Amino acid sequence: MTLLPGIIAFGLFSACLLSIGAVGFTLQFGVTNVLNLAYGGLLTSAMFVDYAIGRGSPNIWLALGVGAGWGALSSLLFARFIVAPYVRRGTSLVGMAMVTIAVGLVIQYGLEAIQGPFVYGFRVGAQSTVRVAGVTLSELQLVVMGVAAVLMVAVHLLLRYTRLGLAMRATASHASLARGCGVSTDNVRLAAWIVSGALCGISGALLGVSTGSFNPTSGAGFFITLVVAAIVGGVGKPYGAMLGSLIVGLISQAAAAVIAPQYNEIVAWLLLIVVLIVRPQGIFAEFAAQRELVG
Amino acid sequence: MSGGIEFYVSSLTLLFGINLIAVWGLDLQYGVTGIFNFAYIIFQAAGAYADGILSLHPANFYQAGETYVGGFHLPFPLPLLGATVAGGLLAVPVSFIVRRLRGDYQAMALLVLSLIATAFVTAQTNFLDGSLGLSFIPKPLYGSVLPASPVSYQWYYCAFVAFVALMVFFMVRAIVTSPFGRVLRAVRDSETAVASLGRSAHRARYIIFIFGGALAGLSGGLFVQYITSWTPTGWLYPETFLFLTAIVVGGAANLGGNVLGTLLVIIGIQEATRFLPQVVYPGLIDSLDWVVIGLALLAFLWFRPKGLVPERRRTLARFVPGQRRTADDLLLGTAAASGALAEVPDIGQPRSDES
Repeated sequence: MTLLPGIIAFGLFSACLLSIGAVGFTLQFGVTNVLNLAYGGLLTSAMFVDYAIGRGSPNIWLALGVGAGWGALSSLLFARFIVAPYVRRGTSLVGMAMVTIAVGLVIQYGLEAIQGPFVYGFRVGAQSTVRVAGVTLSELQLVVMGVAAVLMVAVHLLLRYTRLGLAMRATASHASLARGCGVSTDNVRLAAWIVSGALCGISGALLGVSTGSFNPTSGAGFFITLVVAAIVGGVGKPYGAMLGSLIVGLISQAAAAVIAPQYNEIVAWLLLIVVLIVRPQGIFAEFAAQRELVG
Repeated sequence: MSGGIEFYVSSLTLLFGINLIAVWGLDLQYGVTGIFNFAYIIFQAAGAYADGILSLHPANFYQAGETYVGGFHLPFPLPLLGATVAGGLLAVPVSFIVRRLRGDYQAMALLVLSLIATAFVTAQTNFLDGSLGLSFIPKPLYGSVLPASPVSYQWYYCAFVAFVALMVFFMVRAIVTSPFGRVLRAVRDSETAVASLGRSAHRARYIIFIFGGALAGLSGGLFVQYITSWTPTGWLYPETFLFLTAIVVGGAANLGGNVLGTLLVIIGIQEATRFLPQVVYPGLIDSLDWVVIGLALLAFLWFRPKGLVPERRRTLARFVPGQRRTADDLLLGTAAASGALAEVPDIGQPRSDES
């Protein structure tokens, strides 16, 4: 099995990249129940903003800062001025999916109009590489993995040891009960949108920097893959999303190595349909049958 | 009329007919039955590919390095029938998703299926020639029975599309006005009520999913015979939302509303601008079209969620003197009276439980 070390190494790398976005997606979905299909558009926009601010510099710390700032700000505005009004109007769950996908289309084709016929790419030069067990990983990839690990620990600390985290978990598991216990669910849901947006922006900017070139549709496929990770782990469960990312990362790299490179996303996406049909509650966690929209 | 204008007008007219068939098919699923088919475009694609491989010669006939399965070179109108069947057949396995999932989960699973289909056809180059797709699909009867002049041929094809669209209209109208049509609306409004009256919601959804798929396949076949080539970039997932926007703008579950929506959104925004001269750089107008379509969808979901021509209330006033009640109310009467149906969330319908 000469393929195995490669599958594990690159699987871990994609898992790390995925987990940042997947945790952000699932956190917001768990707290608000809004299926945010504009997440992919926001993710792609973070690459463009990072590129524009850094003039194509692949600096990872810049990507982190710009991604987090841009993601948090735009997600907050999106939640406050688009999602919340529609929810207050009584739009249904599917109606919200259509609202968010409409926003996603506006972002994607807006970026396309801005980009024009030009091709953009981060100036990723030759990098020092590290060889582990016969697999060559670039320094950038290792840093991305480290950043993802730190972010996951940060999310863990936020959820476990802060009052905000407690309020988020309470709102996610039973919104009206949480409200009854004095949790300001309005503020909690805005906080969830901000945290989710920041993670989304970071994930997008890091994806752009580690892939090099990007275009207005770059985030779309990656977005679907991270949704798979979130749903495999159980919707609304951040720890599930981390485990889901690991599973999806390894499976997609295995598919790429064993079948053909083009198949990594196809196999990952098929996993979503299988999981939704066989076990919609994800690999762990109980399924919330009655879902209540809180924009 | 000069040749250029004539070609433009006939193109728009036949694109209108083709898209209208697809929109009616999707609205039967979305507006009437409440199936959120976010993968509708793949049924149109299946029809287009089926039409292509049924009317083309085998791949090695052309010596052009194309690789695709089949190539049966069947005479018109067999490829078109094949396209319709292909759309319906594809709906059979996909209906499993519709059966198992509801609401936004159903929508998401179908959306992902749309992406999977595009990625698979692109990756599997020996199936339908990958990203290159099928080309030189023959126009039916071109140069044999019908004239070999592009403009006058196009008018004949236009008349044929109009005839097919008219047949589809009568079929769809027959469905929505029939007792089965009432069952479909009841499936959308309350599955529990349908079950309580001894009808199978699964069966109704299954039938309409296949029927809608077949209409999509038919429109795909008609479309590919007009444009003569078909590649994965022609059926990316946003195309489904073009149809959905047409439905939301015109008015869901309303055949006339669908006509208006198709005319305004698909012909007015998407197709009419396709023939404009390119400004600034190629593709800018197309990108901006999509931005406008997304904004139109947002605006209508906010200001007029029932569309320009809302669904007609079907009243049976003559049976219930002094009180106007809808046919659906009567069908669902028992459940509604007991309060079980107090809350039937629908797109744009305000919910009372403000949270």
